Amino acid sequence: MRILIAEDEPKTATYLRKGVSESGYVVDCAGNGEDALHLALTGEYDLLILDVMLPGRDGWAVLAELRKHGKQTPVLFLTARDSVHDRVKGLQLGADDYLVKPFAFSELLARIRSVLRRGPMRHPEVLRIADMEIDLLRRKVSRGGMRIDLTTKEFDLLSLMARRAGEALSRTLIAEQVWDMNFDSGTNIVDVAVRRLRMKVDDPFEKKLVRTIRGVGYVLEDTQ
Amino acid sequence: MFSKIPSESPARRRPPSWLWSSITGRLTLLYTLSASAMVVIFASLLYWLLAHNLDRLTEQFLTAEMHDLQRILQERPDDRRVIEAEVNYEGVDEQFPAYYARILDEGGQTQIESHQMSKVIGSSVFPPPGAVGQSLGPIKKWRAGDGKLYQMAAMWVGVGRSGGQRRLVQLAMDVSQEGAVVADFRRKLIAVSILGIGVSAGVGVTVARWGMRPLSEIRKATQRIRPTQLYERIGSGHWPQELTTLATAFDEMLGRLEDSFTQLSRFSADLAHELRTPINNLMGEAEVALSKTRTTEEYRRVIESNLEEMGRLSRLIDSLLFLARAENPETKIGLTRLDARKAVDAVREFHSAVAQEQGVEVVCEGAGEVSADPTLFRQAISNLLSNALQYTPRGGRVTICVVKPDHECVEVTVDDTGSGIEPNHLPRIFDRFYRADQSRSQYPHGSGLGLAIVKSIMSLHGGEATIASVVGKGTTVRLRFPSAARSANITES
Repeated sequence: MRILIAEDEPKTATYLRKGVSESGYVVDCAGNGEDALHLALTGEYDLLILDVMLPGRDGWAVLAELRKHGKQTPVLFLTARDSVHDRVKGLQLGADDYLVKPFAFSELLARIRSVLRRGPMRHPEVLRIADMEIDLLRRKVSRGGMRIDLTTKEFDLLSLMARRAGEALSRTLIAEQVWDMNFDSGTNIVDVAVRRLRMKVDDPFEKKLVRTIRGVGYVLEDTQ
Repeated sequence: MFSKIPSESPARRRPPSWLWSSITGRLTLLYTLSASAMVVIFASLLYWLLAHNLDRLTEQFLTAEMHDLQRILQERPDDRRVIEAEVNYEGVDEQFPAYYARILDEGGQTQIESHQMSKVIGSSVFPPPGAVGQSLGPIKKWRAGDGKLYQMAAMWVGVGRSGGQRRLVQLAMDVSQEGAVVADFRRKLIAVSILGIGVSAGVGVTVARWGMRPLSEIRKATQRIRPTQLYERIGSGHWPQELTTLATAFDEMLGRLEDSFTQLSRFSADLAHELRTPINNLMGEAEVALSKTRTTEEYRRVIESNLEEMGRLSRLIDSLLFLARAENPETKIGLTRLDARKAVDAVREFHSAVAQEQGVEVVCEGAGEVSADPTLFRQAISNLLSNALQYTPRGGRVTICVVKPDHECVEVTVDDTGSGIEPNHLPRIFDRFYRADQSRSQYPHGSGLGLAIVKSIMSLHGGEATIASVVGKGTTVRLRFPSAARSANITES
């Protein structure tokens, strides 16, 4: 998968290139709008990541020009401006997603994955991670054959982490997905909830599945 | 969440002229106009009175003369000597040196006339004569070739007692002198009027300037006020009545400005402080880590810690941006008809794990619909609940209650049995970064913006947030939302 990143701020460009290529993508970089447009028109990319404020030609202009030439490459905007007007403009021009700086890198990776995910997602009925089995339909969890009783929200939290196993999930994202609280609560609610979940699904077992990534959030994965 | 309404530029009418654009100019103009009108009317009246009176005097004299001649012609029509004396008598009079009389027969032949009269006034220039028995014919003004002005009249007079024959009597008066007097008077009046208008304009300017002087004094007083002396006031004591209200209003505005200014500078100081702590941590940790070679694990820990600090900074920026946008008067929010109780229950659910760990019971009561932005509504309740949980000891209780005190609004109260807040903190408790408890380490998650955000959310909804607290008993925060029924143009959720 090839991704073109157009970003004029050198530090941002460097860490984006590093992070994205380390996640298994082939990355090209452009420092201004003209270069970005040229590369996007001549090369074959699976995704463009465009900064809105680019020298020469801004991200919106690049996108508009690209679509005029019939290129339907998905576009993800990065910007420090987050007024509703800006968002609407980007999406009207045919952007696929919109990320406001400062953003968590894990969040960017999640968005990249979701934009690149082609075709309908398979929704398995039962998720298995190590010796844990999560039956999404019957809302039942067991580990090593032992039944674990969870509250509704605990189950929602676990199934979110299981569906996106291996992905670091930020506290904001968890609050959004599990409790539908689309704001920064400034509290340790998610930490408490994860701690209580761990008490049930990890503490009684030797192998720990829920891992804290300091400064980022939580991840559920089977560390061999 | 936010959108902007387009700003309208106020349409202002241009002043019609430079004179009209200043109040002094207007007052001067109006004063001058009215004074000029008075002068002109007065002068015209004087002129008319003089001219009229002079005319009337002449007329009276001519009438009296005609009467005399009439009597002589009736009583002694054949006494030529008396008639001649009468015709010429007045002519030599010092007072009326220019009196002329002529008597003609019915055929138009001159029978007798004053000296030199035929040289000066021909018989044909006289106005049509009055009939016998009338007092006098119409009086005519006539200017002779030499520029002299005459006033004249004619009349038929019966001769003798029987009155069988008629004579035409023509009388004329040289009124050149009176005319000259009147003309002179007119010139002087015009000169005086022009002078009067000029003087009144000058007086008008002076009066207007003098009247407007308090205004320029107020201007000077306001010019003295600088951002560093916002405590100064114009005062309301020594101004004219009309300006007292202006001065008072201005002082009130200064008061509000001073408040916001103080708040703003305090905010800047607080903000600098808030930024300093995480940045200090970032710099210190990075510097210490780089001072000598460390293990990978140690580097990892430093970077993780830095990430946490930066997350804190990022959240702080988000909150500040939120407040800045909420303060922008152009910002408006999308209102939705919202089941307040459902939203409150959801927030309680969100906080339930923390509440259980702290051993605090959270109870929801009541029901009601509000028109609100769902996310902002939940955020407000969530901020209040998290505050309440922080300040309520184990075994306490937090009650969230939705009530509908009247048709106008729906109230959501968050009531705790916590430690309460000292009364002196209450007025500033909604300020940004204000903390009743200055030791922030006790509540590591608070940014000090929670209540400020609640207040902003409430003002965005056209509602208000109030707080009441009793130390040792607990705190109640009351959010007053306009009820769903009252707000038009809202979408069903």
